[in-house]
Amino acid sequence: MNPSDIAAVYPEIIVTVVAMIVLVAGATLGERRQGAILAIITVAGLLVAFASVFGAVAPGQYFRGFVTIDAFTTFFRAIFILLAVFAALVSPAYLARRRVPAGEYYAIICFSTVGAMTIALSSDLITLFVGLETMTIPIYVLAGIQRTDRYANEAALKYFLLGAFSSALLLYGFVWLYGVTHATDFATIAGVLATQGIANGPTIVALALVTVGLGFKAAVVPFHQWTPDAYDGAPTPATAFMSVGPKAAAFAAILRLLVGALGPLGVDWSAVLAILAALTMTGGNIVALAQTNTKRMLAYSSIAHTGYILAAVAAAKAGPSASAAVLFYLFAYGLMNLGAFACLLYLDLDGTRGATLDELNGFGRREPVGALAFAIFLISLTGIPPTVGFVAKFIVIQPVLDAGLAWLAVVIALNAVLAAFYYLRVVVHMYMYEPEGAVPRIISARGLSASLGLASLAVIALGILPNSLYEWALRAAAPLIH
Amino acid sequence: MTHVLSLLVVIPLAGLIPLWLFRRDARAVKQVAITTTAVELLVSLWMLTQFHIGEAGFQLTDQAPWLPSLGISYFLGVDGISVLLVPMTTLLTFIAVLYSSGGAIKMRVAEYMTTFLLLEVGMVGVFMALDLFLFYVFFELMLIPMYLIIGIWGGPRRIYSTLKFVLFTLAGSLLMLVGIVAVYLASADPSGARTLSLPDLIEARGRFSGDFQFWVFLAFALAFAIKLPMVPFHTWLPDAHVEAPTAGSIVLAGVLLKAGGYGFLRFALPLFPIGVQAWLPVLILLSVIAILYGAIVSAVQKDLKKLVAYSSVAHMGFVTLGIFVLNLQGGVGAVLQMLNHGFVTGALFLFVGIQYEKTHRRMIADLGGLANMWPLFTSFFGIFMLASLGLPGLNGFIGEFLVILGTFRFPGVPVNGFVWGPLAAIGVILAAVYLLWMFQRVMYGPVREAYRALPDLSPLEVACAVPLLVLTVLLGVLPQPFIAIIEPSVDQVVRLATDPSFHLLASR
Repeated sequence: MNPSDIAAVYPEIIVTVVAMIVLVAGATLGERRQGAILAIITVAGLLVAFASVFGAVAPGQYFRGFVTIDAFTTFFRAIFILLAVFAALVSPAYLARRRVPAGEYYAIICFSTVGAMTIALSSDLITLFVGLETMTIPIYVLAGIQRTDRYANEAALKYFLLGAFSSALLLYGFVWLYGVTHATDFATIAGVLATQGIANGPTIVALALVTVGLGFKAAVVPFHQWTPDAYDGAPTPATAFMSVGPKAAAFAAILRLLVGALGPLGVDWSAVLAILAALTMTGGNIVALAQTNTKRMLAYSSIAHTGYILAAVAAAKAGPSASAAVLFYLFAYGLMNLGAFACLLYLDLDGTRGATLDELNGFGRREPVGALAFAIFLISLTGIPPTVGFVAKFIVIQPVLDAGLAWLAVVIALNAVLAAFYYLRVVVHMYMYEPEGAVPRIISARGLSASLGLASLAVIALGILPNSLYEWALRAAAPLIH
Repeated sequence: MTHVLSLLVVIPLAGLIPLWLFRRDARAVKQVAITTTAVELLVSLWMLTQFHIGEAGFQLTDQAPWLPSLGISYFLGVDGISVLLVPMTTLLTFIAVLYSSGGAIKMRVAEYMTTFLLLEVGMVGVFMALDLFLFYVFFELMLIPMYLIIGIWGGPRRIYSTLKFVLFTLAGSLLMLVGIVAVYLASADPSGARTLSLPDLIEARGRFSGDFQFWVFLAFALAFAIKLPMVPFHTWLPDAHVEAPTAGSIVLAGVLLKAGGYGFLRFALPLFPIGVQAWLPVLILLSVIAILYGAIVSAVQKDLKKLVAYSSVAHMGFVTLGIFVLNLQGGVGAVLQMLNHGFVTGALFLFVGIQYEKTHRRMIADLGGLANMWPLFTSFFGIFMLASLGLPGLNGFIGEFLVILGTFRFPGVPVNGFVWGPLAAIGVILAAVYLLWMFQRVMYGPVREAYRALPDLSPLEVACAVPLLVLTVLLGVLPQPFIAIIEPSVDQVVRLATDPSFHLLASR
């Protein structure tokens, strides 16, 4: 191991150190004071890590080819750290109210982020798998961190069982892949598959297992059943993080594997991915239509968004614009979906429950800033300009059409109409109904309002001036194509 | 290069700042909103004076790179088709805001005025955008404010109506988005460069195959047909109009519907000449059905506001008929009809609203004898009603006359203009039937005791109505200057639509 190897993973090291400091500080500080202090340490440490992402290491392979640093790595490291910062900023009030151990909470988020970042820098099946598990295992704990809440317990158990199951499938797929190619590094795998093609049984088995395993992680229909219960049962700030961080990480893995290492098979495999994408967006949206609980509705809608992103993966033969669309959409999705879940934190509800639509009546008048931010996130999730969600849809439709999948583009458009119905219904309840009967108390937390206000401004600013983000996504997607 | 068009986009946004500062004071909020829309109106009139009449191409263009990696630019410009629609928009917005400040809106005034200013950005932007991406952004920008205006300040069934309005519109426009992306991909020149700028796309349209044009025209046409609305996509309109507050109805009928007709003329016709030809029989048939169906359904309405709403369906039928007969008379007539409908139907909704504010009744059967108490109201309402039915000397006549003239010259197969023209003319007669009958039932007859004490028009209401009245008469007796502005650009669009090998004239 040479010194530049260590320098290559400074961001990961910094996030790990932050996690450990927070853990120790959480154990030593008094329960009363720790909330704010731990949040500040976490955010400050993560921002240092964020700065180090753009550090001086030259792009290339490190740790004898187990780690690769390129524009793709940088993009995802930045996304993961920003999402962790956002999650840390919106959490303190909720943690204090629910007496969730703050030290453990922030440490778990940091550890999971290290795992996600490891996926982004992997150039080998082994690194990828280690990253995936490092990311997922903390999330199982996060889902069940409210030990006395039985819904949280159910969520954690379901998530753990299905997560372990999908990891096993994925690992089994890796084994087959190794059997076919006699290699674990992506470059060699891609080289061997380019000469062999898809036309033999073992390759198809490997590909199917990998797709199913990653499909579970990303919550692709029909491998999504764990998602609504896990999202619904977990504490709301944890749900907000779970719905974006691990999903972005799953797509980082999908891009590294399906577009990078298995890229030579992409054309043969894209029809399957396109069908899965259509099923995912339609299934997620149709079930979301029937929900009256906003938290569960957002859980299903996040499945629908997986479908839109997967559509861009399926369009890989359109070239770098397809992968760039995945990256852009993930960035936009992370911002708006985390924001939307976090808006539920204003409402003081029992346990882990999310607000029903009726409980949101009059929210627009009772909490103007929070409601406006929520409305902006929802409009962006619908895909209406001038928000980043609209630009993301535009950028996804482009490679999908370019790859000749016109039917899929039409399915995306029609799904956006379905989604508009349930997203805008929330706006209806917030602004167009007056509160009647028992409505939950509003928790006005300045930190929450400030971070959500900032995030909603970013959603609009990136909707009006998306160029630099898109160019960054294009640069980040370039190294994927060999 | 001037920036007057960008100024028109910026002024309403700038008005949001003082609006926000004074948000606690309803009076100040109203004054800020009135001032902002008045400045916007004046700038749009100044823009009109800068326009060179007699040139077909785009003028006052303002262009800057926006998403250069995708070949998308911020590109504004006006030509003879759009240059009159912009001041129409700013005038109707001003009137809507002025009327709303009179007491029709009692709750959440600051939010109300904010949505109106945001709506104005979308509306003026739609008529000036020359990049398809930018056009789409403005097109959708009109959606959310109108959704809020109907949903928050509307009538009893406002939630149902506003969701129906949004979902209908979105269904069309999202398919258009797919169409826009398809156009973008097909625009690639041999070097691979792609664009969404309208003049460049018109140059590149030779690369759009017949099949491609067939489907993409359909995607665009659905969006515009829903917005306009054409029969059978009109079912959102009566609901939205009935529930919308008066100012919302004025702007919805006066401006938002025009975005559909304008979209056909600006984008669908010049870009997809082969696609237009393929769909022409359907489009003409639907237009004539809209004229007759709208008129017949209007005649049986019991609700005054619904009657005006359905009459819009008929009037928009004339707009689409004029557009799709693909000749100069029809096209000029369609643009004039859009302007006329904006002024006249905007005014009719204003008066229905004023009447409702006073009597709190909208059912025709509950009204009657109003003429005896309200001479001023009766005179204004009567003139706008006559303009709406196409009385010569008022503006409605000119547009419908030119459209019917153009229809007679339509050489279509399987049946030509000598079939369609008379059918459309029957629509004019039917308009006279339902409007005069409505006027008789509402204004004449015995005075109802309950209404005896109600006052005639207030000075504010007269101030709202006078500009519309002046334009209604002016366009009726002196249409030539307006036609001179419109004609060259319509001529160019018609050539582009009828001759796939025709190229755009150089624009300024």
